[in-house]
Amino acid sequence: MLDGLMDWLVSTPINGLVLNYAWSWPTLESLHFLALCTLMGSLLIMDLRLIGFNRIIPLQAVHSLMPVAIVSFAINLITGLGFLFGDPHTYFANWAFWAKMALIVLAGLNFLLYFTQVEPKIIRLGPNEETPALAKAVGAMSLIFWFGVLSFGRLLPYLGTGGG
Amino acid sequence: MGFLAWLEATGLAEWVRSSQWGYPSMIALHALGMAIMVGLSLLLDLRILGWFAGIPLQALQRFFRLAWIGFGINFLSGSGLFSAQATSYIVDWVFMTKMTLVLIGAITAGILQPAVVKAGPNAELSGGMKGVATFAIVVWIVAIIMGRLTAYL
Repeated sequence: MLDGLMDWLVSTPINGLVLNYAWSWPTLESLHFLALCTLMGSLLIMDLRLIGFNRIIPLQAVHSLMPVAIVSFAINLITGLGFLFGDPHTYFANWAFWAKMALIVLAGLNFLLYFTQVEPKIIRLGPNEETPALAKAVGAMSLIFWFGVLSFGRLLPYLGTGGG
Repeated sequence: MGFLAWLEATGLAEWVRSSQWGYPSMIALHALGMAIMVGLSLLLDLRILGWFAGIPLQALQRFFRLAWIGFGINFLSGSGLFSAQATSYIVDWVFMTKMTLVLIGAITAGILQPAVVKAGPNAELSGGMKGVATFAIVVWIVAIIMGRLTAYL
């Protein structure tokens, strides 16, 4: 099944767009790095407030950063797909890539937990109010998962390629 | 060049260049510190420009401190990475442009942080400080791009 998918990825015009121009890959990488910065920056502010750091921020105001996180993730999904279309065989053969994808899925499930169970209970909390234990746990898990995604992503070229 | 050649010959440089974990561990820490320093700086700059106005300016002080921790991680990991190929990096204009921009970015944070501390409750920063924040956003974006392109030259 993976072989079929890889064949299809490299048969698309996107594969040519990513590989045939000298600037495609570095441009995708630069965008991927910029959006990872804004994703992690917004997550740090939101998750640390959930955990209980900087309680002078009202939770609704913290929530105003959510669009930044979502747009940043969307940019990284699109640029990340660009890498996959360009060189699927290298990524699919790399265990660090799969570890990164698994962590993104876990982070997504954690976000669902936030969205369904935590947000409705905390959105009206004002400055200096304590968040519930589940909110603290979800905030901590979010930071652990996303910093894991970042680490595996950066280590990808050095791990799981046979040598390491 | 004497100092840089010496630096390249140190045990640290040798470890970063040729051990199994030297280079990967330094590069991973460098990405982590970048996300903290640049990610927080970009968002704090946007807040100073008036985005996310529900977040009080006074709350920014603690995030500036956290950003400096990211900067420290990158100063250390970056020094390790630099030592491994010091004589090549120093003549690479992309790398030198990036270093200049990082230095300017750090200076903008050093200017904006005390301004935020001095701002009273419900206050916003002056037009001049907003100018510094706009400039800082451009500087950080170009610094990230130049840092990424360093791998290609």
